[in-house]
Amino acid sequence: MIQLTASCPSVAPLTVRTADIARLEPRCEDVIAFPDGLPGFEECRRFVMSSDGDQPFQCLEGLEASSPAFVTVDPARILVGYRLILSPVDRRRLDAREEDPLLWLAIVTVNPDDTATVNLRAPIVINPRLMIGFQVMPHDCLYPLRHPLSI
Amino acid sequence: MLVFTRKRDEAIIIGDGIEIRVLRTGRDGVKLGVTAPASVAVHRREIYDLIRAENETAVRRPHDLQQLLARLCSQPKSSDEP
Repeated sequence: MIQLTASCPSVAPLTVRTADIARLEPRCEDVIAFPDGLPGFEECRRFVMSSDGDQPFQCLEGLEASSPAFVTVDPARILVGYRLILSPVDRRRLDAREEDPLLWLAIVTVNPDDTATVNLRAPIVINPRLMIGFQVMPHDCLYPLRHPLSI
Repeated sequence: MLVFTRKRDEAIIIGDGIEIRVLRTGRDGVKLGVTAPASVAVHRREIYDLIRAENETAVRRPHDLQQLLARLCSQPKSSDEP
C-alpha cells in the first residue's frame, strides 16, 4: 500500500491510501466536494473519482479517515433512456446553471454470491464546473434500488 | 428528545430557518409542511435508511477496488426494461 500526500492552499493537506497498482495523486481540482457526505458516510466530505479509459466503471474514493470507496457506473449505460429530473432545490444544492452538464453516477453493489446490482433509485449527481455533488434521493422514483447487473 | 404537543396550523422552529408545521391530522397520520433553506436536505426517514443501508453494502476498502473492477471488466448490458 502506498501513502500519498498532497496539499494545496485552499484545503487541508490530504493523504490518500491506494492500492499498489493504482497511483493516485489527487490535485485540488480533482477533489469533488460532497457537503453532506453520502448516506451512511456523512463524515466523508471529499472524494476523488478515477476511471480507466473507456471502461464503463469508475472508482469513487473518499479522502477522509474512513476512506469509503465505491464502484460506480453511468446509469444511462445500464438502462437505456435513464433520466432523473433534479428538483429546483436539488439544482440549487449544486449551484447548477441551466447550461451546466451534470455527471451522473450509480453505485454498484457486488454481493458475496458474485451477483451485482446497480442503485438506480438514488444516483450520485456532480456538477463538474464546481466539483460538487450529492446523492439524489427523490421522494418518488420508479427506478429500482437494486437493478441486476450482468457480470 | 424534545416532545411538543401541536395542533393543526401550529409549528415549531428549528435553528435559524427551519419550520415544521402541522397541516392536517387524521387517523392515518399527520401531514407536515417543512420549510427549510435549500442547503438543508429533507428526506423521509425510511427512504434515507434504505439508501444508507444500500451504500453500506456497496462500500469497499480502497485496496479492494481494483480487484472488483477487474471482475466487472465486461461491459454492462443495457436493457430497455423499466
